Amino acid sequence: MKKKINITGILLIAAFIVFLVLAGRGMEPRDLLITTLRGFSVGSVTFLVAAGFSLIFGLLDVLNLAQGTLYMIGAYIGWTVFVRPDTFIDITPLILFLMAGFALGFLWDYLADKITLDARKKKILGWVFVVLSVVLAVLILPRYPIAMWELDNYAQSPISFSYMADQGIRLPVSPAETKGIPAMVALYGSFLISAVLAFGLALIRYKENRQHSLHWKKWRVFGILIILGTLIMAFNTPLTEWLMNMNTNLLFVIAAIIAVLSGIGLGALMETTMIQPLYSRPVYQLMLTLGLGTIGMQLVKAIWGMPEFVIPKPEMFRGSGPGCPATTVKDVFTHHCSTIMILGGRVRVYDEIVLPIVGVIILVLVWLLLKKTRIGMIIRAGVQDSNMVEALGINVRRVFTLVFALGAGLAALGGVLSAPSYGLSVSMGEKFLLNALIALAIGGLTSYPGAALGSLMVGLIQQFMIKYGQIGIPIPFTDIIFKPTPAIIPASTMLLMVIVLLILPNGLLGRQD
Amino acid sequence: MKLTSHSEIILEVQGIQSYITHYHILENVTFDVPKGSIVALLGRNGAGKTTTLKSIMNLVDVREGQILFEGQQIQGLTPYEVAQRDIGYVPEHRAIFRDLSVLENLRIAERKKGDFDAKREMIFELFPDLKKFINLRGTELSGGQQQMLAIARALVPENRLLLIDEPSEGLAPVIIEQLIEVIAQLAKQSTVILVDQNFLVTSKLADYYVIIEEGKSVERGVMAELINDHAKIQRYLGVA
Repeated sequence: MKKKINITGILLIAAFIVFLVLAGRGMEPRDLLITTLRGFSVGSVTFLVAAGFSLIFGLLDVLNLAQGTLYMIGAYIGWTVFVRPDTFIDITPLILFLMAGFALGFLWDYLADKITLDARKKKILGWVFVVLSVVLAVLILPRYPIAMWELDNYAQSPISFSYMADQGIRLPVSPAETKGIPAMVALYGSFLISAVLAFGLALIRYKENRQHSLHWKKWRVFGILIILGTLIMAFNTPLTEWLMNMNTNLLFVIAAIIAVLSGIGLGALMETTMIQPLYSRPVYQLMLTLGLGTIGMQLVKAIWGMPEFVIPKPEMFRGSGPGCPATTVKDVFTHHCSTIMILGGRVRVYDEIVLPIVGVIILVLVWLLLKKTRIGMIIRAGVQDSNMVEALGINVRRVFTLVFALGAGLAALGGVLSAPSYGLSVSMGEKFLLNALIALAIGGLTSYPGAALGSLMVGLIQQFMIKYGQIGIPIPFTDIIFKPTPAIIPASTMLLMVIVLLILPNGLLGRQD
Repeated sequence: MKLTSHSEIILEVQGIQSYITHYHILENVTFDVPKGSIVALLGRNGAGKTTTLKSIMNLVDVREGQILFEGQQIQGLTPYEVAQRDIGYVPEHRAIFRDLSVLENLRIAERKKGDFDAKREMIFELFPDLKKFINLRGTELSGGQQQMLAIARALVPENRLLLIDEPSEGLAPVIIEQLIEVIAQLAKQSTVILVDQNFLVTSKLADYYVIIEEGKSVERGVMAELINDHAKIQRYLGVA
């Protein structure tokens, strides 16, 4: 059997390229170059959201509409680590201890099995513990000391701190005060909250005929969380100072890693606690992810406030002194120029060169994961028939969790990387979720290369429309110069999607079946 | 069931009732599988043979009765836990993974690293075609080759029980002959439960039979006796 070549798809892509070339004829070469690079940049960020979406939908059949919110949360967490390391260091032990209770899941299952009550009474007891954990949370959490920005005090607000960090000034926020109980007590109290909650949930979900063991290896995660949390709290001040005085390149990398880890953690939490019970009810999943997305947005609004700000660019990409703008690649490395001159135009190094390169790197890494590893093989097989994969003896549910977490992590990575150029706002998630959905419809919903192609096309068409909004398109045979208004920009990608879908209902690279 | 040469029971299915969503598919299925034998599940289309195999794998909802594998209860386990007890499943319609190469289709069945390499020789001797097409995609194979691949996949780990569903479906008579040989070969290493509409296949291979009708096991016995009982064959299977 020969491989079928999708001629219609190739023709459509060719038509798109011809359209861009024709569109570019009315522009100066440097405008064309910069517009194209910006298209690549937006495409790259869109791809990070879309790739996760596509992986999750392909394997789990879940449309994760919270993907946009995860993207946004990635950006805000990255901002916190980068601009307010003190807040980050304060809150980390708390998060670790709140996780520690759930890391003991095996112990709770074991205890739930040992309690001699009938299933109904176990369920009731479980709910009693859940309520108890809420009471504990109300008592303990407000007493945990965190040094944090204040939304209603301009001098202490995220915008001011962003601005100061951009100037290289890192004033500490007003230090955290202990409130009634020592910090360590509040910290271990927070472990109690999560332990009581996890035990309650174990009782509610209790099933008979399970084998339980308390093997020492199962305690490892719990041990690591508790030790790490205690150490971070004990060495709070030196750690904070170390981060505050750190080279911003390295700090940005740390911020990105923490953002991705948070995305992965949130994704895993979402999948195991909320998505898993709904696998047989797709509409509920849709409502759930949409709802979680909205809740996430409101939380971000409540914690970081409405006004928009940015993550300042790390040192590597902010130079403007002598030798800048760079004329050669070497200049970029020696003077850390923020811009480079290409074809007489100023190209922003981070926004228009680094972001697309990162997009390509992630594209290749995920592709290697899919094609060259056992886990990738299981994912590709599971996309077709997850029951059969499971019947081969593979715990496919765990792979589901992993892929969901990975998808969420990719979105968070997109968020933190785009924050220095596109900024942080409560609506940033919605915008890129829409971009990603359109990109996937164009490229083919479950096709990974399709996600990349669609994202690139969406990025390019948006940037060309923005450029034409500035210079206008002369309409042939008339004197009219048409200037697309900002409202046309999202409409133009929708139009592209409609055209592609009318001709190829499965998208450019989607399956025909 | 009369046990002639086989004495040890590897699988006991006792009065299971299974549901697919709210449809009550199996109403009462009971049978034993002696170790080292081939047991054929017979019955008309829609009688519940495939659902019986899926019930053993726990791919459908088994609400009553119990299934014991080597004396241990396996219903209520997840399908992967059932498989990890060394039970291999070859579903109908082959279920070859189309995005995976032949090699990957085999490797994915490894339960521990090196399973495939240990069996490589044996598998390629049994299925020389697979060696030839090792880098093709699963779905680029012919129907017969795909079936061989689906069976080979179940041979990668050391399975002690194989559930094979409709292996001869849609295959040419010559290929079916090869298939019968292959199944006879692998039955020397593993116990087999075989479902096949083609009575020629089951009658040649099976030691015992179980007839399933409208979700109930109605007759059990030794295959050699059934072959001569034309009235029974006519009554339950509609073939003579």
